[in-house]
Amino acid sequence: MNKLHYYPGCTLKEKTTNLDNSTRAAMEILGYELVEPEGWTCCGAEYPLTEDKIVGLAAPARILRQVEIEGGNKVVTTCAFCYNVLKRTNEALLRDPLKQKRINAYLRDDIKIEPITKEKTTDFPEYFSTVWVFHLLEFLKNEVGFTQFHSLIKRNLKGLKVAPYYGCRLLRPADEVGIDDPEDPHIFEEFLNALGCEPVDFPFKQECCGSYISVSLPDAASEASYQVLKSAQNAGADILALSCPLCYYNLDRRQDRIREKFPEFTGFPILFFTQILAWALGVEESVLGFDQHFFDPRPVLYQEQKTEAVS
Amino acid sequence: MKNTKKKIGLFVCHCGVNIASIVDVERVAKAMADYPNVVFSTDYVYMCSEPGQKMILDTIKERGLDALIVAACSPTLHERTFQNVAKLAGLNPYQIEIANIREQGSWVHSDKKKATEKAIRICRSMVEKVSQNENLEPIKVDVHRRAMVIGGGISGLQAALDIADHGYEVLLVEKNPSIGGHMIQLSETFPTLDCSQCIMTPKMVEVSRHPKIKLLTYHEVKSVSGFVGNFRVKIRKKPRYIDPGLCNLCGECEKVCPQVVSDEFNMGLSFRKAIYLPFPQAVPGTYTLDIENCLGLLPIRCGKCKEVCEPNAINYDEAEEIFEEEVGAIVVATGYDLYTMDHLAEYGGEKIDDVVNGLEFERILSASGPTGGVVRRPSDGEVPKNVVFVQCCGSRDTEHHNPYCSKICCMYTAKHAMLYKHRVPDGNATVFYIDVRAGGKAFDEFYQRATEEDEVLYIRGKVSKIFRENDKIMVWGVDTLTGQKVEIEADMVVLAMSMVKTDGVENLLKELKIATDSNGWLAEAHPKLRPVESLNAGFYLAGCANGPKDIPETVSQASAAAAKVGDLFAQAELLHEPTIVPVIEELCSGCGICIHVCPYGARELDPVLKVVKVNEILCEGCGACAAACPSGAAQQRNQTDGQIFSMLKAMLKG
Repeated sequence: MNKLHYYPGCTLKEKTTNLDNSTRAAMEILGYELVEPEGWTCCGAEYPLTEDKIVGLAAPARILRQVEIEGGNKVVTTCAFCYNVLKRTNEALLRDPLKQKRINAYLRDDIKIEPITKEKTTDFPEYFSTVWVFHLLEFLKNEVGFTQFHSLIKRNLKGLKVAPYYGCRLLRPADEVGIDDPEDPHIFEEFLNALGCEPVDFPFKQECCGSYISVSLPDAASEASYQVLKSAQNAGADILALSCPLCYYNLDRRQDRIREKFPEFTGFPILFFTQILAWALGVEESVLGFDQHFFDPRPVLYQEQKTEAVS
Repeated sequence: MKNTKKKIGLFVCHCGVNIASIVDVERVAKAMADYPNVVFSTDYVYMCSEPGQKMILDTIKERGLDALIVAACSPTLHERTFQNVAKLAGLNPYQIEIANIREQGSWVHSDKKKATEKAIRICRSMVEKVSQNENLEPIKVDVHRRAMVIGGGISGLQAALDIADHGYEVLLVEKNPSIGGHMIQLSETFPTLDCSQCIMTPKMVEVSRHPKIKLLTYHEVKSVSGFVGNFRVKIRKKPRYIDPGLCNLCGECEKVCPQVVSDEFNMGLSFRKAIYLPFPQAVPGTYTLDIENCLGLLPIRCGKCKEVCEPNAINYDEAEEIFEEEVGAIVVATGYDLYTMDHLAEYGGEKIDDVVNGLEFERILSASGPTGGVVRRPSDGEVPKNVVFVQCCGSRDTEHHNPYCSKICCMYTAKHAMLYKHRVPDGNATVFYIDVRAGGKAFDEFYQRATEEDEVLYIRGKVSKIFRENDKIMVWGVDTLTGQKVEIEADMVVLAMSMVKTDGVENLLKELKIATDSNGWLAEAHPKLRPVESLNAGFYLAGCANGPKDIPETVSQASAAAAKVGDLFAQAELLHEPTIVPVIEELCSGCGICIHVCPYGARELDPVLKVVKVNEILCEGCGACAAACPSGAAQQRNQTDGQIFSMLKAMLKG
């Protein structure tokens, strides 16, 4: 079993533990034990929007340093937001020596207090930028290989039409984080193909779900999410797959609000990409926590299986 | 014949304030007056002016100067001017040298004192150089008074006709089965709305009938060797499998041909057979068998066309031919292509049928097009009621696509929208633009007419996304004048795709060894003063191969290129710069290093003497061989190692 550093991020750790569990279960089947860096904190969720504001890089740099201290050179995350912040921080430090110097000045001052003696120790090293940040989707493609799925697949998903939803954070800014062409991405489709389901192209696959505006302007977010869901539905998808827990929150958990605002909307099943992966690899249904979904995806999943069995 | 006792004069130019504001020109003149061999030194406000030149002329005569230095601007500007003055005064023109104290002095420095000191050092080094200069005579070459024009679009046709009308023979080489280029595909032309075919076909016919023009369609230039006035060109004749002399255009072969392929002339909006006439007015008027799509030439496999060909014009045994021609000048008119839509995935790539590019829409508008001039969209043949036009698709986008402006799209989009409104008066035409650039004769009036008379809606802003939703095409954009998001349900979208260099032309250009700019367009010898010549002598540029252009500009450039060819051919003999790099045979060991560094192929090893021989005409005097030669056998005339060391010493001492 390979050990792999894994940064779950706060949403997976707290609100959507089912996504975390499905990730761990799927990766275990693929031969990876996911290890969290000790004492990880919030990544900041949003990369600093101004060039000169660098204090926002300290938290992600600290997480990456922890991976380095623990001897890791790769860290994966399934949250598109965390991926975006970690990856861009890593890139910024690699590209800009001055930034690296300034951040390392913060990191050197990192203080650890011994619980027993209450003594302060400041023996933290700098971050040497030796860690590679991966979104799990990218890791599966480039490090594991989608072809590995084939022999491990336990549930047949043939005929299941899945709309791959990329959202914003996986692809842009393209030269820093983009795991694929931001205008014409394919990685998610390849992933779904490898699992045996049928990816459905829909025009809203890169449009915004409303993101964290759902906190301040929930109505605006509902509208954005509704457009995405409607587009996938119109394209003939049975289910929408996504790669970001915030998108999951807006597109699934907030479907009650969407229904309120758009009464004609009857709901649409959403799956996190590791849930599909785990499902295909035969992970127990209870691990995947479908009961935590607002719109239960099970009928679609089982119906597909049944029709497959009949034909 | 070293002459170290030359009497040298120095003339320092102020160039108004261009030099004098940074370099203390009087001090330069004064400081140089005492320099060995300098017998006269002065400064003047404009050396290139009439009085300035006269002063130089008089001084040469009065003082009996043997050589002179003009300290002024770059030699690319006025070396010729002062060489002529020297000639008038009876001096050999190679006894003058320019000390560049402007581009390499005042323009690049701000410290007056240091710039002045540098100017003095530059002058000193030039004195050292000129005191060892030899008298040289230009090398004379014969001219082959016959031109080749590559490309049979409007620019190539115009250039060929003009050269032929000057009385010189022209070879017109076109890779496609017919001449006509992109212009013959257009429906109507801005800003007069003349029918493009109506003004193009007479020129095509004229070219085919002109006694001085040898038309080589379905031919390709394979290689070019030689030099200005004396090029040897290898041309490949692609087999047409049909004798143009016998083909009577009955069209029987086309009827029986079982192979249906997409029609290039109609931009893939219709189909043709593997044996085809590109378009009704094609010149030469003959069918062509497209071997790539033919089922095979063995009669056993198909052979249907040959069976029905009454005049027996089809010959399956025709083979590729390569032949050689000699020409003195080459006009490169290889045209353009459109940036392909797959670069713009956000606009649907090429996946949405009803999102078309400008040339496709030309064919849809054209009376001879696949829809007979009725505006119908490709997906279902419906007449679109809402058409959105998007300008600058792939142009003016430094970050992702092409940095340049494609220049003609503002006007042709106005034309497209206007023609659409004429054909579908109750339809809506909307144009998204960044700027409307209508800077040509009667261009802005034309654009005004589109907005006012034809009620085309212009929205200033870019389009972010185009996608299909049910049977509509959704266009998302922004109106930057009101700051509003715009969403249009369109039936059809026309993208004004950027113009780019012709696909695959780089192989030809590599063969011709002519320079291109960073975007792949042919580079002119000087962007302002020599716009139709290439830096490589004997090559001339015409049309869009040199960059985006409209038809009037293309025609002007083609005529200008033809005139330049005329200039060349009018000379009794060509004069070649004598500052070449000959070989001192006693020193040459025949190692051949210089042969490999020569970019012009001017050097070769004499197999008997085992020394390098130089083709004086091909040598451009770049000096690469002189730098590479390990034994000092390659010495550039008037730029010998001895001169360079003296110059360095003068430059660096005290």
